[in-house]
Amino acid sequence: METIMVYLENMFVGLPKTPEVEHLKQELLSGMEDKYLELKREGKSENEAIGIVISEFGNIEELTAELGIQPVSPEETVPVLTEEEIYAYTTAKRNAGFWIGLGVLLCASGVAFLIFMSALFENYAISAANRSVETGAILGLIGMFVLIAIAVSMFIYSGMKLERFNYLEKGFQLPYTLKMSIQHSRENFALTYRIAIITGVCLCILSPVFIFAASSINDNYASYGVSAFMVMAGVGVFLFVYYGNIQGAYTNLLEKYQLTVEKKQEVKVVRAVEAIVWPLATAIFLFTGFVYQRWDINWAIFPITGILSGSFSNVYHIMKSKNPS
Amino acid sequence: MISSDVIRGYNDTLILYMLLEGESYGYEISKNIRQLTEEKYVMKETTLYSAFTRLEKNGYIQSFYLDENSLGKRRTYYRITPPGLDYYREKCEEWKVTQEVVNLFIREL
Repeated sequence: METIMVYLENMFVGLPKTPEVEHLKQELLSGMEDKYLELKREGKSENEAIGIVISEFGNIEELTAELGIQPVSPEETVPVLTEEEIYAYTTAKRNAGFWIGLGVLLCASGVAFLIFMSALFENYAISAANRSVETGAILGLIGMFVLIAIAVSMFIYSGMKLERFNYLEKGFQLPYTLKMSIQHSRENFALTYRIAIITGVCLCILSPVFIFAASSINDNYASYGVSAFMVMAGVGVFLFVYYGNIQGAYTNLLEKYQLTVEKKQEVKVVRAVEAIVWPLATAIFLFTGFVYQRWDINWAIFPITGILSGSFSNVYHIMKSKNPS
Repeated sequence: MISSDVIRGYNDTLILYMLLEGESYGYEISKNIRQLTEEKYVMKETTLYSAFTRLEKNGYIQSFYLDENSLGKRRTYYRITPPGLDYYREKCEEWKVTQEVVNLFIREL
């Protein structure tokens, strides 16, 4: 029966996806299924039954002429993905998730290293106290920048690796069997994903414990606690990014990229707004940091921007669905 | 098997005939046509559904849903309408004349 579905799916590839056409496809499938089941009941083999059903399908042009459907013009037709492409895409997403997650972890570790080194030299500055403290800060800074530089190269590397899949955003079609197999993979992955996310959340929630634990032992140790907190939260974020990317690959293939025209418009607007808002937030972050030295509080700009940008996309979606223009 | 070019103009008549006795659905209609013609004519899937579309657009048949219990499948059924009945009669008359005319040119060689 799957062969018949694939056959029908392929027959409809070049046709617009209107409700009328979808309805017709369902009708044809239902008729073909009836015929197939009856042939099987009559004792025909699987292959014979499929052969007969397909040979009696007829000619799709006959239908399109009757319905007055124009096949979609070549620039509107979307590519049909092959198994290799899907494999390449999911692998690339998984790798990108790994490198980006690791990069985030390195950034967090860099900051942790800076705090750790400063604290270490401050606490154990035996001779020439001021000098030692400075050495610690400089060592910490060097370490942090090296780690961040490595992290940024990882971001760029994975971004470039994913670039060749940009064409997927323009839409594509999945053959029925592939769609089923992706759905199957996603279901298999669901448990792993859930466990990873829960672990990540637990790590993030529990990570501040280090700060309290360290400072309860000794006030001077609070900074070590902060370092440990950053690394542990970094591991949590790594889990979000890595497993989130794998899950994202499935979502993109099965839902997100197979968008309607309105939805595509919506994504465009939301992206345009994000392209302005995020660099702006970064600029404010750097400005308030370097000019007003408010590093202690200005990091809050990022979660706030995240929440605002998320609400914008939701509000836009609601407004759009209320007045479909 | 019969050439589909020849019968094309009468596909609608065949389907309407099948609906004279009562409502039916796609596969049943095509199966009955196959049996009645002793497999001399098998209506292709696309021909059948083109005809449904055309007949419904012209108001000759009406479609409605019926839940099939054995498969739990929602099926589209068709029934003939009064204009459909008129159209069927018209086509029958037309065929009689066509047959008469063509018969004039048929002889055993």
